[in-house]
Amino acid sequence: MEMVLTLIGLPILASLLLLLFPEKRVQYTIAVITLFILSVVSLSLFNRVEVLSFHLSHTINGAIVAADVVLLLFFFYQGKLFHHSKVMALAAVQLVLYGYIESIAPEAGSAEIVVNNLSAFMFLIINGVGGIIVLYSVKYMEDEPTSPLKKRLFVGGMLVFLSVMNLIVIANSILLFFFLFEMTTLASYLLIAFRNDEVSRANALKALWMNQIGGVVILLGALVAIIGFKTVMFDTLLQSSGGMVLFSIALLSMAALVKGASIPFEGWLLGAMVAPTPVSAMLHSAAMVKIAPYLILKLAPALAVSMVGGIISIIGALVFVSASYLALSRSVLKEILGYSTVALLGLMMSLAAIGSEESMNLAMALMLFHALSKALLFLSAGVLERLHHAKDIEDMKGMVTRSPKTVGFILFGFVSLTLPPFGLFMGKLFAISSIASLLKEHPSNLIILLSLIVGSALMVLLYFKVASALLSAPCDVEASEAIAIPSGFNVPLVLLSIFIVIGALGYIMMQHNIFVVLLALPMLFVFALPSLIRRMDRYDRSQPYHCGEKEPFDAALVYYEPSNKVQLLLYWGFGILFVAVAMVGALS
Amino acid sequence: MIWVWIALAPILGGLVYGGERVLRARMQRRQGPPFLQPFYDMFKLLDKRTLIVHAPHALLALAHFFVLWFSVAAIFLGWNLLYIIFLHLFAQLLLILAGYSVRSAYSHVGANRELLMVVAYEPILILVAVGLYLVSGSFEVSQILKSGGYLSQLPLLFAALLMIIPIKVKKSPFDVGEAHQEIVGGVEIEYSGVFYEFLYMSRFLEYIFIYSFVYLFGGESHWLGAVLVAGVFLLVNLVDNATVRVRPAQMVKIIYTVAMGLAILNLTGVLL
Repeated sequence: MEMVLTLIGLPILASLLLLLFPEKRVQYTIAVITLFILSVVSLSLFNRVEVLSFHLSHTINGAIVAADVVLLLFFFYQGKLFHHSKVMALAAVQLVLYGYIESIAPEAGSAEIVVNNLSAFMFLIINGVGGIIVLYSVKYMEDEPTSPLKKRLFVGGMLVFLSVMNLIVIANSILLFFFLFEMTTLASYLLIAFRNDEVSRANALKALWMNQIGGVVILLGALVAIIGFKTVMFDTLLQSSGGMVLFSIALLSMAALVKGASIPFEGWLLGAMVAPTPVSAMLHSAAMVKIAPYLILKLAPALAVSMVGGIISIIGALVFVSASYLALSRSVLKEILGYSTVALLGLMMSLAAIGSEESMNLAMALMLFHALSKALLFLSAGVLERLHHAKDIEDMKGMVTRSPKTVGFILFGFVSLTLPPFGLFMGKLFAISSIASLLKEHPSNLIILLSLIVGSALMVLLYFKVASALLSAPCDVEASEAIAIPSGFNVPLVLLSIFIVIGALGYIMMQHNIFVVLLALPMLFVFALPSLIRRMDRYDRSQPYHCGEKEPFDAALVYYEPSNKVQLLLYWGFGILFVAVAMVGALS
Repeated sequence: MIWVWIALAPILGGLVYGGERVLRARMQRRQGPPFLQPFYDMFKLLDKRTLIVHAPHALLALAHFFVLWFSVAAIFLGWNLLYIIFLHLFAQLLLILAGYSVRSAYSHVGANRELLMVVAYEPILILVAVGLYLVSGSFEVSQILKSGGYLSQLPLLFAALLMIIPIKVKKSPFDVGEAHQEIVGGVEIEYSGVFYEFLYMSRFLEYIFIYSFVYLFGGESHWLGAVLVAGVFLLVNLVDNATVRVRPAQMVKIIYTVAMGLAILNLTGVLL
């Protein structure tokens, strides 16, 4: 109980302290202490097995209702302020629905707060990775051209975001979940609009209205649950059977598709790239989008055996391929990373929705390693942006000589996403064998298997295309100077890399499979190679061959642009599938 | 005994490569090099002055060779096919990174194309593994070799595998990696001496690697496996002499439509 309260209260307390003490050193100290306490608490919670549950008092429930109404009114006001009719309309719809639901919602029920294994696991991701990102953002905001107060508000806002995330993963009441869901929407809206220029505002409003769709479907799901089963609790709903239970579950899982930025909703997550980099890192790795696989995992018991689950896993798998493909047409590093997040979230949701024990474990492993790797990649991208003012991969050519360490971190991120023995690679490997073993019972899984195989290949192409730009260095006959990374950036990056290695080692050990350990051998060999062969300077150096040209010239990067027709088809196809989730839920 | 075979794998591959050059010369009615030419080349290369562009570039070639050897060893030891395919991917990516690590347009073009080749054949290799798993019940090579009759159950999948062999052994119509030296050797361009020798030997290992997949279709019957390998070997060389090279994008398109279609058709047939 106290531990859970710490996870929720401490970030808020820390953000208040940050506002009070503008001094740099104090800020770092607060960030480090918060990160430390949060990680220790979430680790110890993770190691406990018991399930905690408690009721909220009447006043707290009342306060939440009031806060919710204020929040929705704020959305409505923002829509009016910026003349955005979609935001206004969706806020109005939510207000009406919410008011009606609160008036008919049953008073008593099971506990509003339930801390189970899944929540404890989510705590690890949210606090471990999120805490590191907060630490990083203290340094990042130093160079941001804005007022000192706004900088502190920014870091404080990130901390509050953590607190909201910690609460959302233990909410058992659908209405409480809805409130927190909208709180994360608010957080993303404010953080994306942080720079307050035209593009940021437009993208923030886009994120707002798209996420509001998620809010509306959650409310509809709650409505169905109340009418059909007289409950607003996830656990009671999951235990019920027959009637409209699948319809309610289908509506709730549609919210996951929206939050997870599955196509056709990927626009908001990519729009979030205009925000300062720590926001992108936070949204993509520790917070926000992780609600999507989390929610599907939570609903998995009901999804596993139903058509709804089947459709969601197919949508997820198709998103995996399509987003990887769409990313091949992009040249801004953050956008490429963004698309790959969308893709991998699709994969996680797909595995979670299959709902077998193995596939759910795989989805969780993917979540953890994805959070670590993506945070590392985004934070490194932020370093390149700050130190070298490079956002586009075309401007990053030869970056390895200018910032070898950052490029090292980025390459390590890619390697951990694509190569043995790192977590995400292992996840994909086991996913293939796990789905192959399910093929005989459910031939429809062939679609998922194919998407997984092709999507993985496309992702390799994607990442190594970026690597090609970073690595195209001149030969070492020419001297080159590098800019060192300041320690405010270095420490978070090193921490993440260490976690990736520890995580991978732990994951390998957990498999109890000698061959998996042997898979790691070549990696060790490759890393040891430079020390095995000490005297490379006994070989003579030469310049690369340029066919007699005087000026060195570059090879172009690979781009694939889908035609407008294909793009339109993709959007319509996914739109129809999205609606189909609700229809299948209603019919079954 | 198995360890001896593993140790000899590059030499074995070298013999296959030498044999292939003789065979191709006969098909084209020329004299061609002697059977042991790959080994004469080796001595020549070892004798040359080694020039390198920078240390990581040279070391990655070594890493590529050894990881590839490791994956071939994994086949001989009868491990899980998926692991083997991914180890092979790992080796390939090391080579691609090496290609990108020098600022040479030819090396980059070569690496870009190697990457496209991976994207083209990787899915088919995994589908072959899945297909073998569905009919034999295991991903382990040692288990797959204990029963038989795969060819009759997976004929279309076998055809899909045949389509990607030219990519792996760098033959027309899919020799895009170096395009018969048209892009000045592709990824290999910046290598010389000892380090080039390692890349040269990697090619031998690729032969062993890809032809072992063909061998697997023979199942428990070693004779069938051997006949399949020999037949495919002849066929691939015939096709090489009889076709023209396609562009990289066309290669991906052909593999993704035709070969993937065949594989899916076959898998659906097995499942239903």
